[in-house]
Amino acid sequence: MADTQIAPEPGTRAGAGPGGPRAARRKGLSERALARVFVAPSVLLMALVALFPVIWAIVISLFLYTRRQQTGFGGLENYTDALTSGRFWDSVWFTFVFTVSSVTFEFLIGLGFALLMNQAFRGRGITRAAILVPWVIPTVIAAQMWFFMFNVTPGFINNLLGLGNFNWLGQPGWPIFAVVFADVWKTAPFVALLLLAGLQTIPGDVYESARVDNAGMFQRFWFITMPLLKPAILVALLFRTVDALRVYDLPAVMTQGAFGTESLAILVREFVVRTPNPGFGAALSTLTFILVLGIGMIFVTLLGRDLVIGTEGEE
Amino acid sequence: MVWAIGGSEAQVGGVHQTVAEMWSEANPDNPIRIEILPEAADEQREQQALDLQAEAGGFDVLGVDVIWTGEYSENEWLESLEDIRGDIEAVTLPGPFETGIWGGELWAAPYNSNAGFLYYRTDLIDTPPTTWEELCQMAEEAGGAEGIAGFVGQGAQYEGFVVNWLEYYWGLGGELYNEDQSEVLFDVDLATQATEFMADAVNGCYAPGFNTAMEEEARNEFQGGNAVFMRNWPYAYSLIQEDTGSPANESFDIAPLPTFTGQGTISALGGFNNAVSAFSNNTEAAKEFVLWAATDPEVQSTLATEASLPPTMASVYDDLADDPVMSLLGEVLSEAKPRPPAPQWNEISVTMQRALYPAYNGEGDPRSAAEEVLAFLEGTVGN
Amino acid sequence: MSDTAPAPVEEVTRRGQARKNRRQGGVVEQRSTLQVWGKSALLGVILLWCLFPFFWLIMTSLKMGDRALNSPNLFQGPFGLQNYEAVFGQNFHLNLRNSFVIAGATTIICIVVGSLTAYAIARLPLKRKILLLSGVLAVSLFPPVALVPPLYELWRNLGLLNTWEGLYIPYTAFTLPLTIFILMTFYASIPKDLEEAARVDGATPFQAFLRVILPLAAPGVFAAAIIIFVLSWNEFLLANTFAPRNAEIAQTVPVAIAAFTGAVPFQRPIGTITAACVIVTIPMIIIALIFQKRIVAGLTAGSVKG
Repeated sequence: MADTQIAPEPGTRAGAGPGGPRAARRKGLSERALARVFVAPSVLLMALVALFPVIWAIVISLFLYTRRQQTGFGGLENYTDALTSGRFWDSVWFTFVFTVSSVTFEFLIGLGFALLMNQAFRGRGITRAAILVPWVIPTVIAAQMWFFMFNVTPGFINNLLGLGNFNWLGQPGWPIFAVVFADVWKTAPFVALLLLAGLQTIPGDVYESARVDNAGMFQRFWFITMPLLKPAILVALLFRTVDALRVYDLPAVMTQGAFGTESLAILVREFVVRTPNPGFGAALSTLTFILVLGIGMIFVTLLGRDLVIGTEGEE
Repeated sequence: MVWAIGGSEAQVGGVHQTVAEMWSEANPDNPIRIEILPEAADEQREQQALDLQAEAGGFDVLGVDVIWTGEYSENEWLESLEDIRGDIEAVTLPGPFETGIWGGELWAAPYNSNAGFLYYRTDLIDTPPTTWEELCQMAEEAGGAEGIAGFVGQGAQYEGFVVNWLEYYWGLGGELYNEDQSEVLFDVDLATQATEFMADAVNGCYAPGFNTAMEEEARNEFQGGNAVFMRNWPYAYSLIQEDTGSPANESFDIAPLPTFTGQGTISALGGFNNAVSAFSNNTEAAKEFVLWAATDPEVQSTLATEASLPPTMASVYDDLADDPVMSLLGEVLSEAKPRPPAPQWNEISVTMQRALYPAYNGEGDPRSAAEEVLAFLEGTVGN
Repeated sequence: MSDTAPAPVEEVTRRGQARKNRRQGGVVEQRSTLQVWGKSALLGVILLWCLFPFFWLIMTSLKMGDRALNSPNLFQGPFGLQNYEAVFGQNFHLNLRNSFVIAGATTIICIVVGSLTAYAIARLPLKRKILLLSGVLAVSLFPPVALVPPLYELWRNLGLLNTWEGLYIPYTAFTLPLTIFILMTFYASIPKDLEEAARVDGATPFQAFLRVILPLAAPGVFAAAIIIFVLSWNEFLLANTFAPRNAEIAQTVPVAIAAFTGAVPFQRPIGTITAACVIVTIPMIIIALIFQKRIVAGLTAGSVKG
């Protein structure tokens, strides 16, 4: 259809839809312009606040420092130091193990919670609120609370389960379990909330027709719920993964990073705050960033195909 | 003027506030107020560092931990206090005075001190031990008979662990550096011995939670009647004394920490000094304040009487000889050893933690851990 | 269709047992006696799992004195409200005010700005969306601890330290990515012909968004709102750096709690910490209770098709 409209605003064009004679009366921005207007504020805000420090950190990482004094340009020396350091790889390993275990359990438990929260039963409001309680407690307090519970003295969990003097936080292997446990307890509700919201997008009549076809509960779950929930699942997994890769409070408070529980974030903080070496700390941060971004990108491309492919053709 | 100091005594009603008020009354044209920093020393340092690094001048007087002197001075964050050095040196105990010196200059004026005590149960132990081996033996015997653990200290992977380990190492006669930190005197054999002692004790006289305990965990164990001996700072004394529900309440006492040689006593020196920010707009008044806080007898005895904070002024100990904590402190402080106030202390401490902690917990070899520490220390002398 | 009251429907199954089916908001539920008992047991376990530590928090906050606070026995007294008095004596209500304003501002700005962006990426023509999405994601990924030194400098020069704006502006920036992603999944699930239909009726693209699409994304908006609010409320690092002290200005709740001290040095004030935690959790639960109804409001696309 030809563009017959004399628009009051110069930037306006008629959209690519079946406008017809009504195009003459249409005011306002086209879809394309609207898109730009909608996106601009976010991009601006994020760029202003986040871009500058990131660039600063990357630049700093190219310089060498002795404690806080700059001693010269190092190029990639900080990076090679980091990548050849056993401590760095130990912390990568722990961070990976932590992430995979906690995200897996948080997903499974969160999914269960979401399905439950979606049901109609007496007391569902209270249940939903109760499920959110662990997540709502500030992390600094939760970390201290779980330290208190797991520690041999006063031995709260040991007392409860009759385990005597089992040293959860002070012997190899078990601190990782304690930290993962605390994180799963705290964050499964977050996953549940995301998945619950996702469940709302599944229309009820889809289940109806499945039921008419005599599909059992499990089949309905597997063939209807899960595929339609896929975008929400991917968002939940994405954000939980990138957050788990940057875990700090729980291991720092519960074990001070001992027995192989020094996460990447603890390591970064060590060199930015505790034994400051700004260049090295910035290099560690950048390495962490690259790692986390890389993993995040995998999720984004998976998500992107799902969510965005439909409108790609309209460009 | 602004005084950046933290912890419980900096809160309203605490002794630091009292001191600030004392100054402000006597100097109404130059009053001082406290910016309350958090309790944990690390966080205090973080917040001070933010202001100092930005050269903001928001703080005039800084409450600095004894181990930060070198670091702060190296970063050019402090005003030199050489011109008031003489007055301070004359009245202060030598150990605490040393903690304010770096590179031969005085950078921080003493304020309060701290030293480790041995707490023990008088109903289970007649005379306190003079060697660590003796302590371990008594602990196991008495503890076994009573059904409680032997000894609690600070064994988690943090600065407090380094303090405890140093007390063993120094008790063997070991040293870290020479007088001016130009030479490394670290002895690998003695270090190995200290670590091996701890590794054995983990399966022997140490209480079960030893390797995850900080000050509070140790105090709770002892106060709850679950340990025969405890190594802790003086702060625990009044808490145990006031806790009538505690099995240790009527039957505990304090003694100097043992050594391995049986001679004398060694404890690590803690405490806080007052320094003047290099970016302050009120340098003269700030210097007056830190001088006054270090040398005024009234201030120093108020620290002791109101808050049980060990003063740094020698004469106060004579005045307060009746108080058990103060009299023991007077005895112990003269032989307390400071950790080197070198700028690299943080790095050194972290290296020691990462090497020695796994070693005493059976995850590493004590000798190679000691060698690792030696190698690091030698690397620092070049700087 | 979903607005009508749920009507019980009898159905005879293959096993010959009558089961009641109820429809509630698009989710069909079946019950048999065994299932009801099983569900109750499961519910009990879940509630225990979630609430037991919170119960510990409450009990500990009511304890007084060293002995009780450090005992593994939950029920060892004496009990009292001393800890709560102490907490409010430290101007905690000002911290609550600060956190509420900051988290509230973050939530509102994030939802408004984020909804627009999410809609644009999900439904409007834009070039290189995947690149944009990656950029959006990248913003929230850099370790915050390393961003603090340069941001502190910048904030100090702009006079934004110890202010509310100094906190809710970066919070918004760092929470936008999550908001955008959540809302995107919602917009994507809405049938595409709706905008066409609106356009046929003469609406501009903006009007189509505002009047037709946005209301349908309400569950997502409320879910995102809770998440943003709680995340901003619990944020510690930036708050501790930009407004570490001074409750009367901008110190937030987590920072205040972390700065609690005991009566003597080294003492960990577990009594006041747990009391503050309880004080903080209760309004959050109330907010969550209010919002959760809106998330599971159950309108959804089912009614739109009709």
